[in-house]
Amino acid sequence: MHANETVHDRIDNATTSLTPTQMALGLGLVAIAAFTMVFVQEPMMHDAMHNFRHAAGVTCH
Amino acid sequence: MFFQYLKRGLTAGLVAGLAFGVFMAFVGNPFVVYTDELAHGGGHAAETGGDGHDADAEAAAGEHHEASDTHEAGETGHEEPAVSMAVTKLVSVATSGFWGLLFGAVFFGGAFYFLEPAIPGTADTKSYLLAAAGFVTVSGAPWLALPPVAPGMDQALPTQTRLYIYGGMMVAGLAACLLSGLTYNQLNAEHGRIVGLVGAAVPLALLPVVAMVTPANPVTGTVPADLVAAFQGFVVFGQLVLWFVLASAHAWLQRRADDDSPDVETGLPDTDSVTA
Repeated sequence: MHANETVHDRIDNATTSLTPTQMALGLGLVAIAAFTMVFVQEPMMHDAMHNFRHAAGVTCH
Repeated sequence: MFFQYLKRGLTAGLVAGLAFGVFMAFVGNPFVVYTDELAHGGGHAAETGGDGHDADAEAAAGEHHEASDTHEAGETGHEEPAVSMAVTKLVSVATSGFWGLLFGAVFFGGAFYFLEPAIPGTADTKSYLLAAAGFVTVSGAPWLALPPVAPGMDQALPTQTRLYIYGGMMVAGLAACLLSGLTYNQLNAEHGRIVGLVGAAVPLALLPVVAMVTPANPVTGTVPADLVAAFQGFVVFGQLVLWFVLASAHAWLQRRADDDSPDVETGLPDTDSVTA
């Protein structure tokens, strides 16, 4: 890391080096994964992850 | 340059995910199944053996159903899981792996790249501070309102309400961590380190206050208090270790990357950051 860099520089750097498609794809993937693990209550998904949810302390049925 | 950070984050996430997956397979799965079985002599565990327990399971299930009917997820109940125990175990191990990978990607691949200049400390300290913030955001803050619950216990609040509280506390935890970092940087620059640390503690100390205004969620069930405490300890330990492994792996990868780039000494931009 370069001592004189700021958060703002990093944001500028990322917006120039990433295409909008890459950004959307990355954010979308992360959102889907997080939502599935923490919030999805569909019985089959939920029950399959039951042990994990308890072990990770995520609120469960 | 962004992709190098992302790669290091994903690698650290993979290491932590593997560790947590192994932990889930050898400790998490057996512990959850045992506690579930003890709570209502069946539940998810009835799928595997079932034999001698069936009568007990049915009796317990009948009793149990009234309680779970009040839940939004009542139809999934404890007594009739939609998938077999083997699938639950397998998917739970896989999800544990993704859990680590997700944090590696989001916190160390993404957030670290942007926040690195602002995170207090040098080199390794930054990785550990980010991991601490990650733990508070994802688990620590939500647990203040909804502590980890042992399998087979019944909770007073409906599932949907609890998910909103959990999500809300995650937002509160994230805000507290960011505010804490900002406060430290400001005060440290003007008044020195001690004042900075005291100031940084204030937003975090407010989290329990926020948790107090969320609706109470009394937990009832037949699991012995000692086992409930042991289970909660196991959950907290698991997540702390997960974040510790994540930070350690990331700090190591960062060090190795720094050793490889002589540009750090000269202060010149890396060639890749010019092209990136």
